[in-house]
Amino acid sequence: MSQYGPFQNDWDKFRREIRKYSKLITLALGAIFTVITLATSFYTVAPEEEAVVIRLGRYLETTPPGLHFKLPFGIDREIKVKTKQILQAEFGFRSQDFSSRRTRYSQEDFDDESLMLTGDLNVADVEWVVQYQVADPFKFLFQTSSPETNIRDVSESIMRRVVGDRSVTEVLTTGRVEISQDARDLMQEVLDRYDLGVRIVTVKLQDVNPPDKVKPSFNEVNAAKQEQEQVINQAEERYNKVIPEARGNAQKMISEAEGHATRVVNRALGDAEKFNEIYNEYRKAPNLTRRRIYLETMEKLFNRFEDVTIVDPNVKGLLPVFGGQRLSPIPGEAQQ
Amino acid sequence: MIKYIIPASLGLILILLRAILFVIPEGRQAIITEFGRPVGEPITEAGLHAKMPFIQEVRFVDKRILSWDGFPNQIPTKDKKYIMVDTTARWRVVDALKFIQTVRNEVGAKARLDTIIDSTTRDIISNHNLVEAVRNSNQILERIREYEQEIEERKEQGENILEDEVTGEIEEIASGREKLSEMIVAQALEELSKLGIALIDVQLRRISYEESVEQKVYERMISERQRIAQKIRSIGQGEMRIIEGRMARDLERIRSEAYRKAQEIRGVADARATAIYAGSIRRDPQFYDFLRSMEAYDESLKGKTRFLLSSDSEFLKYLRSL
Repeated sequence: MSQYGPFQNDWDKFRREIRKYSKLITLALGAIFTVITLATSFYTVAPEEEAVVIRLGRYLETTPPGLHFKLPFGIDREIKVKTKQILQAEFGFRSQDFSSRRTRYSQEDFDDESLMLTGDLNVADVEWVVQYQVADPFKFLFQTSSPETNIRDVSESIMRRVVGDRSVTEVLTTGRVEISQDARDLMQEVLDRYDLGVRIVTVKLQDVNPPDKVKPSFNEVNAAKQEQEQVINQAEERYNKVIPEARGNAQKMISEAEGHATRVVNRALGDAEKFNEIYNEYRKAPNLTRRRIYLETMEKLFNRFEDVTIVDPNVKGLLPVFGGQRLSPIPGEAQQ
Repeated sequence: MIKYIIPASLGLILILLRAILFVIPEGRQAIITEFGRPVGEPITEAGLHAKMPFIQEVRFVDKRILSWDGFPNQIPTKDKKYIMVDTTARWRVVDALKFIQTVRNEVGAKARLDTIIDSTTRDIISNHNLVEAVRNSNQILERIREYEQEIEERKEQGENILEDEVTGEIEEIASGREKLSEMIVAQALEELSKLGIALIDVQLRRISYEESVEQKVYERMISERQRIAQKIRSIGQGEMRIIEGRMARDLERIRSEAYRKAQEIRGVADARATAIYAGSIRRDPQFYDFLRSMEAYDESLKGKTRFLLSSDSEFLKYLRSL
């Protein structure tokens, strides 16, 4: 062995050294190996997640939350997907900050996303959110290259289709619920065609407005509606004020007439009765009764008079006694 | 010496295995090439696969549905309206071999998709009226018809309807959005199939008016709203006049009816009184004349009266002589 020369010595020396530490090195290597093996053999899935396990590139299984075993050294790989979480895509606006008590929204407006044509070729500014959940994590990961982009694209297209089939009035007022519902159903239908593994939870319309430039004229329509109602109400009010009063007056008039009627008839009846009674007695002694009544009446009258002057027709030129004006109560004289 | 052979051959085997075995991940497919020449069918199954070492190479192609995003295009429609059309499409490689041969990779494919889909979209859109790209069906016409019918019925039932929905002319459509998309797909598909690409769908993501047109549309919307507002106001005024008219009519009716009734009541009563009087007077008109005169004197000649009495009077006859 001496033919290798002085290097041989170094080599031997090195091998001796190695041998001396070999136990330690083996131990260390073993420990490292064990740690790596253990570390790559287990994985945990959080409660809101599911994990897709890939063995040598190929899909093996989907595992629920908990601690799971897998083949080490990257033979099995797991990809965790948040399947329980409801994800949200926003259109026409972006919420920026959920941390404070009040959510802040981005000041930018996303007109490109939110402005759309309605069926009567008007423009509406529609903001909405789509909430979805991963229904099949494997499909979600591997069916399409970018599921979020697809969801956004489909949602924009479908919303325009749904809005495009309605008039601007319907979009702005009564159609909201139906639009959300239709958009949800149609989106699901299209995404199912891609087999995307996504379930649309809801489509919610947020602000639906006319475009900013047109807004004042829409408000004017609302103002006109108020005005219309006001005018009508005022007219009704006048009607309600005048008519019942007139009815009352009418009733009063009728009641008065009825009162009059009662009075007239009763008086007639009374008078007739009185006449009948007197007449019955009168018939027994007509002349006598006549005289009596005449005298009684005269008596009553003359008693009442302030001044009774008896004039003898044979005496002439008496009239001047009364003086000028005092003559007036005598009708025939006053007019002369 | 044998001591060194074992690790050496182990290493060799490892190198050989690495050259033979390869992994196709999920969502991808592979083509094996021999000195650049494709060999056999594309492998679409994910997992561990084998090839000839050193002489064969593996090229991967995406198997998933891929998205294509078109650049917004200004296209005139058949009815000469300028609109911006923004399309997106979904496609996938169905024939990896053709795909590699014709476009090499996704970047190459995108360039071809751009030209093919853009030009097809342009063709289809410019061959149709704007409404065909906006609406999907004639649903809106049915809705309007239903609405009008409902209004009509409610009016017949005497309900007071103040309609405010004034919609412009809405034309019927023949195809609609979805059909246009399908036409684009159908037309583009033919060319794309030569590239080993299947087009799954083309979505008309956004359709908007070109800016100058947009301005005009806004002006139209504003004037339409103003017209509606005006109509609403004048309906209100009309409604007010109707109520006022009703008020005048009711007022006259109430008053005149009351008058008529009152007069009738009075008349009946007066007639009855007259009859009563006549009934009893008839028995002796002269006596009634006398009696009533007496009563009348008593009633009408009141206290502060001066009275000239002729000594000739009947009342005083005994004053003259017995």
